[in-house]
Amino acid sequence: MSVNAAASISSADVPLQCNDIHRYLGEEESRVHVLRGVSLQLQSGCVHAIVGPSGCGKSSLLYIMGLLDRPDGGRIMLGDEAVEGLTDDQISFRRNEHIGFVFQFHFLMHEFTAQENVMIPMRRLGRLSLREMQERAAMLLEMVGLGDKIRRNSQHLSGGEQQRVAIARSLANDPQVLLADEPTGNLDTANSERVFHLLTDLVRRQRKALLLVTHNSEVAGASDWIHEMKDGELIACTAGRPR
Amino acid sequence: MTPPLFIAMRFIGYRKRAILLSLTGVILGVAFYICAQAQTQGFERFFIKGALGTSGAIVIENRFQSLHTDILTRTAPGILTLGHEKPRKFYEGITDPERLMRAVRDFSNVAGCAPVLEGNAALATDFRQEVFRVQGIDLDLHLKTSALREQIVSGSIEDFQVKPAGLILGFGIADKMRTHVGQDVGLIGPDGEHRTFRVCALFQTGNLFIDEKYGYIHLKAAQSLLQRPFGVSHLMVKLRDPARAPALAAHFERLFQHRSRSWQDRERGSLQVFKLIGVSAAITVSTIILLAGFGIFNILTLMVMDKVREIAVLRSMGYRRRDISAIFLWQGFLVALMGSLLGCLLGAVLTYGISQIPVDIKGFLTTKRFLVHWSATDYLAATVIAFVAIFLASYFPARRAARLAPVDILRGSGQ
Repeated sequence: MSVNAAASISSADVPLQCNDIHRYLGEEESRVHVLRGVSLQLQSGCVHAIVGPSGCGKSSLLYIMGLLDRPDGGRIMLGDEAVEGLTDDQISFRRNEHIGFVFQFHFLMHEFTAQENVMIPMRRLGRLSLREMQERAAMLLEMVGLGDKIRRNSQHLSGGEQQRVAIARSLANDPQVLLADEPTGNLDTANSERVFHLLTDLVRRQRKALLLVTHNSEVAGASDWIHEMKDGELIACTAGRPR
Repeated sequence: MTPPLFIAMRFIGYRKRAILLSLTGVILGVAFYICAQAQTQGFERFFIKGALGTSGAIVIENRFQSLHTDILTRTAPGILTLGHEKPRKFYEGITDPERLMRAVRDFSNVAGCAPVLEGNAALATDFRQEVFRVQGIDLDLHLKTSALREQIVSGSIEDFQVKPAGLILGFGIADKMRTHVGQDVGLIGPDGEHRTFRVCALFQTGNLFIDEKYGYIHLKAAQSLLQRPFGVSHLMVKLRDPARAPALAAHFERLFQHRSRSWQDRERGSLQVFKLIGVSAAITVSTIILLAGFGIFNILTLMVMDKVREIAVLRSMGYRRRDISAIFLWQGFLVALMGSLLGCLLGAVLTYGISQIPVDIKGFLTTKRFLVHWSATDYLAATVIAFVAIFLASYFPARRAARLAPVDILRGSGQ
């Protein structure tokens, strides 16, 4: 929800927020002001959908909130910590620990099995032993309905299954925030519903915050909050009708 | 296992055929480098061994006297010039070898010291007559200082020892003069008198120049033959550490006022040729490793281009720039490691095989087999060259991968 709309929410319930974000892309004459003072708070246990026409800045906002890109102005708070002073390595560590990404194209690594793909973020964090990582990856794959395919090479899975592996991978380090860029954009209706249901169910049960960029009106409508963007600005924030 | 190493081990199989081709290049490059160095060093060591065994590590010869001008000389009206050293005056040979040998033996690095009286004499056989270099030796001291005993290929030292008119001839000259052990030959000195000597043994150093030109007789016989009843031509000195010969030779020269030459100085020309051949072989063979490195560079550069999405996703999962870089550097490291290990193994097998090839070289060196030298340094050098070449080949693709901006890749990922 927008900052003003959620002023009363405590910081413990807001794992990620941005305030007055500006971002320019391109150089000189082709320079475009893609984000114009965007502010947003992600609330734990809620699904936030960003909708809007192509090129309005949805993905740019997602990448900035995912700490993959740095804004030209404004502030990002990860929990109580301001991100702007952190080094590239520190930001990478925060991303590894606190943020999980799901992309439109699953981007699994074909050299690895489903289980190994899920373990990749855990290996970077390095908190679990190999056995613990294997067990957790198996548990996450079980949770997304792929318990019988953990040792299957990722390229031998269907599109929907690959996207579910990608969701399991995004949960590998138990992040507070999930960011999804058109997670259902490349799936058929049945798989699209299944993936969205899986994500929303996770958010509610595990009290995570989910920000998803979507063009799918049904997906957006089923979210807790719908943020409408136009020309780099959030122009409306409305409550959805979660199922 | 670090996460980048784990990923690198899977990525390395991505372009299996190309990687195997480059790996083969590294293996062959390392093996050929080792082989080439083993051969050049084998011949060089053989030559050095011959030089040390024949003339010792240091040869102390003519006495000299340093001459100096007066401290101050008037060179022009009103101009005084400071004194300086004039060209040395040399006196042939060593007049008191016993005293000099006592002094030389006091040095801890000296393992042996022997006097030699050398001069030209004519060797006359039934076949022909030819001038050669005859060396008068004190056999006991000479055996302790030289490798003469090991160089005997026919006859016996003991026979020579008991015969005052005994002669040990170089294998080459004996062959040329068609003489053999047990035969009597004539030696004619500067006085023109014909003296009969018995050929007791033949030696072969492997250096044809020595084997075709030299012969040994007892010191007393040489003094009589060469008409030089006092003194000797030079002292040959054996060292425990021949590598330190140049410094000790310089010290001897200052101390004893006798010209002293180390084996490195005496054989400088030949040693430089060996060095040049070694360097030339190393450069030639290293190009194979460099070409393999170029192959690795191409493979990794293509891999970075093919794997941009994976790189972007790894960055989104919290992998740092240096982790991305490490994935590609590890791949280079693995190729270098496998290439070096297998290359060293193949190099050892090839070196052994070459050492068993029968050859019949007669010339600058004489040998019946290919000479090789087993040196851990060659294996280390080949490994270092392989690692450096492949590190450089991996570094630039790795740096490029680390610099990729994940957002730019993810933005264009749908296309």
